[in-house]
Amino acid sequence: MTYRLTEDQAALRDAVRVLADERIAPRAAEIDRTAEFPWDIKELLASHDILGLPYAEAYGGLGGDLLTVCLAIEQISRACATSGLILAVQELGSLPLILAGTDEQKQRWFPDLAAGKLLIAFALTEAEAGSDVAAARTRARRDGDDWILDGSKRFISQGSVADLIAVFAVTDDGEGTPRHKRLSCFIVEKDMAGFAVERIEHKMGIRGSPTAELSFRGVRVPDANRVGGEGEGFPIAMRTLDRSRPGIAAQAVGIAQGALEVATAYARERKQFGRPISDFQMIAGMLADMDSQTEAARQLLYKACVEIDAGARDAGRWSAMCKLVAGDTAMRVTTDAVQVLGGYGYIDEFPVERMMRDAKITQLYEGTQQIQRLVIARALTARP
Amino acid sequence: MAAAPIWVHGELAPDGSLAKISTEVATLARGLGESAGRDVIGVVIGSDPAAAATELARFVPRVLAVSEPATADHAAGTIVGERLGALIERDTPDYLFAGAGPEGRDVAGVVSGLTGRGVLVNAVAVRWEDGPVVEMSVFGGKLTTTSRFTGEQGIVTVRPNVVTAEPAAKTGSVEATSVDGELSLPLVKVVDRVEAADAAAPIEEARVIVAGGRGLGGPDGFKLIEELAEALGGAVGATRAAVDAGWIPYAQQIGQTGKIVKPALYLALGISGAIQHKVGMQTADTIVAVNRDPDAPIAEFADLVVIGDLFEVGPAILAALRARAG
Amino acid sequence: MRIVVLVKPVPDTASSGERLRPDDWRLDRAAVPAVVNANDEYALEAALKLTTAHGGDVVLLSMAPPAAPETMRKALAMGAASGTLVTDPALAGSDTVTTTRVLAAALRGMEYDLVLAGADTSDGGAGVVPAGVAALLRLPYLSYAAKIEPLKETETVRVHRISPTGYDVLEAPMPALVVCTQALGEPRYPSLKGIMAARSKELTTSALADIEGAEAAEPTTAVLGAEAPPPRAATRVVREPAEEAAKQVVAFLVERRIV
Repeated sequence: MTYRLTEDQAALRDAVRVLADERIAPRAAEIDRTAEFPWDIKELLASHDILGLPYAEAYGGLGGDLLTVCLAIEQISRACATSGLILAVQELGSLPLILAGTDEQKQRWFPDLAAGKLLIAFALTEAEAGSDVAAARTRARRDGDDWILDGSKRFISQGSVADLIAVFAVTDDGEGTPRHKRLSCFIVEKDMAGFAVERIEHKMGIRGSPTAELSFRGVRVPDANRVGGEGEGFPIAMRTLDRSRPGIAAQAVGIAQGALEVATAYARERKQFGRPISDFQMIAGMLADMDSQTEAARQLLYKACVEIDAGARDAGRWSAMCKLVAGDTAMRVTTDAVQVLGGYGYIDEFPVERMMRDAKITQLYEGTQQIQRLVIARALTARP
Repeated sequence: MAAAPIWVHGELAPDGSLAKISTEVATLARGLGESAGRDVIGVVIGSDPAAAATELARFVPRVLAVSEPATADHAAGTIVGERLGALIERDTPDYLFAGAGPEGRDVAGVVSGLTGRGVLVNAVAVRWEDGPVVEMSVFGGKLTTTSRFTGEQGIVTVRPNVVTAEPAAKTGSVEATSVDGELSLPLVKVVDRVEAADAAAPIEEARVIVAGGRGLGGPDGFKLIEELAEALGGAVGATRAAVDAGWIPYAQQIGQTGKIVKPALYLALGISGAIQHKVGMQTADTIVAVNRDPDAPIAEFADLVVIGDLFEVGPAILAALRARAG
Repeated sequence: MRIVVLVKPVPDTASSGERLRPDDWRLDRAAVPAVVNANDEYALEAALKLTTAHGGDVVLLSMAPPAAPETMRKALAMGAASGTLVTDPALAGSDTVTTTRVLAAALRGMEYDLVLAGADTSDGGAGVVPAGVAALLRLPYLSYAAKIEPLKETETVRVHRISPTGYDVLEAPMPALVVCTQALGEPRYPSLKGIMAARSKELTTSALADIEGAEAAEPTTAVLGAEAPPPRAATRVVREPAEEAAKQVVAFLVERRIV
């Protein structure tokens, strides 16, 4: 890998940064306070082609590589983690189609997704199937040319605002069927009869991003909406997560960077005992650690993106590592940012308390940190 | 051989009177002429220059009044510039001083283009040292440069409020003169003149500016600003946020993409002082701000800042000013 | 229609490193990132809106140091079709007279319906160049535009020129030169597609020798020195309740002889 961004990548990153600083940052506190999905930010991202980044140019997208998508997520998340998630979820929900969709399916949906006219979500998790993905109970039963879906999904990011949902359902629960061959993937369209949003969670952080419980009661889905082969759902989900985890790592790096910047600016201005507190070694030490850790997480993320895009065989290891490191970094850096601000860090006059609340989710979704460790350990200790 | 004179361009206000800025430029030029031992001559060009020329003659010993009917219903800048350029070629003064407002800028640009004389713009101070030595404030006030002309001719445009207008001890003479020949630069017709109900005097010329920003919360907040401006004999200014929100016209916007002002007093209510606004007003002599936020940038560079609610402090200041006057 | 927009790279006001080089007092362009002059962006935005409404394209013209292409890329990313950068070592440190003449010479070799320019530049506050260019090219000159309306049937352009009392409605045949103000509307952010397209747009670099009639002349002005203005005295902070605070403010104004 060359150790520098290409001119295009730098130009796109800078353009997103300007947009984030000027148009998204001023809205961040309000989005958190009202816990309302920021449709205006979604429009802003759409109209500046940012939601087009994950899709090939043939479908009206920008054909962005994973690194470019992550650069954009990082810059947006610096200003507002909820807004950064809009792009991350658009990519996450689209990945099953990108990886396993037919040309016809891509033609059908990608142009509108790339233009931001449609939003897509990823519905894998259930109340009883979090880390244990294969334990899903939502089923899809064949009926002529269609499938009938029954079940429910929990903790689905943006599930209540999405137009399309990539749903993973059991299509083969035969006794002899191995666990990883039980699931298939389907695109459910929000207007399909029997699909409902049951509830939206009240969360610690990323409060503007609606996290929904979705129910499927006899939802009739045409076979043309099945993504990939029957029984291929689990590998599709795993391959999706391999490519989408860097997006969460990018969100985490962005959150950390945003917190670092606020803490640094504060430490330079705030005077106690006649001097800016950045003069004091304990504060300076904390800031140095925050900066180094954020940079380390960032570099691992960028490298992971390049490796994954290059088709590295150990893509899973890269993906898990960058998410593990970035998530833990975001939590540590935001907690320290609150510490640097002291009492002011605890009140909502400054954004660091929100950033700390936002950071926690990066250690939980798209695979908990414990799952990431399992993935890494398995790759490390697997017999040759 | 006597050194060539210094000329002053007298601008006309829309009603035909002499623009305030020209009285200031004339005062400045007169002072330079005295230091330099050179004649100072004013030039007024317009469809009916008599009144303005007479007024300008209070400030300089001699004024040329040029009647140019075309300016009645055509854009004046090009016409005035062309005639002034021709007069300069005819009478060969060394220096021309003009105001650095929209009218003066247009004229200076045309004269420079036609005569090839250099321009030093937006002067905040001018002294004479064998030629004008001009101080200009650049980069939004971050640097003050001192410049001069490399030769013996040049054009200087002068910012408003740099000099206080002061009539001469003796009123000067006005002589009508004309420039022959057709105008060669294309004429731009004025099809209509529209008066906006909320148009205000050019704020660059005001000695005192009271300005409001986002903190005013809406167009009604500007009533307080107007009352304070009136009490202080000043003009109303605004930040871009207030203009973008439609609370006040663009003509009163101060900042990087609005006007640059240098009043004696800039009183800012509900203005954070972000850099884009700061560059428009930071060279004011005195800056007083009222803001709820002690960490607002303006609290750093104002001379005096009141930390408080502008809707309480503002009326209190107004009351105190009125009590003083009454 | 074809519109030429005059753009000038200037130091980014929001950064703080502007300085003049102490040896010759010329602008130290390496010290600080350059951006397109803010007012020129409004001219560019106006041009893009006009060509969207009436068809045609927008091209950029700039006289600047060779590093300028980066700042022109942003203008291309906003939607200009191509650009010409006039750059030559002989033009380093040019004054407004040379700039005016070189731009006029460059425009003589171009075809256009309108030339748009921004009002004032933040790095030297000239604002006199467009008027000089119009005079040299014998173009109708319409300044301080708050609104621009080309009229196809008559091949004229109608402009609202901001005046102290409101605005004047000016009309002139095209081609014409119009100086733009912010009142024309916010410049767009370049879209990502625009940024990627900008890479392949044509940016021609011309030296003085490539432009007929263009030459550098000895500058008519010289900078003698530059310094930061004297720092303001420490801010007096008043935290008392409104009535008491108001008394202190008025006393301060009296002290400063403002009332």
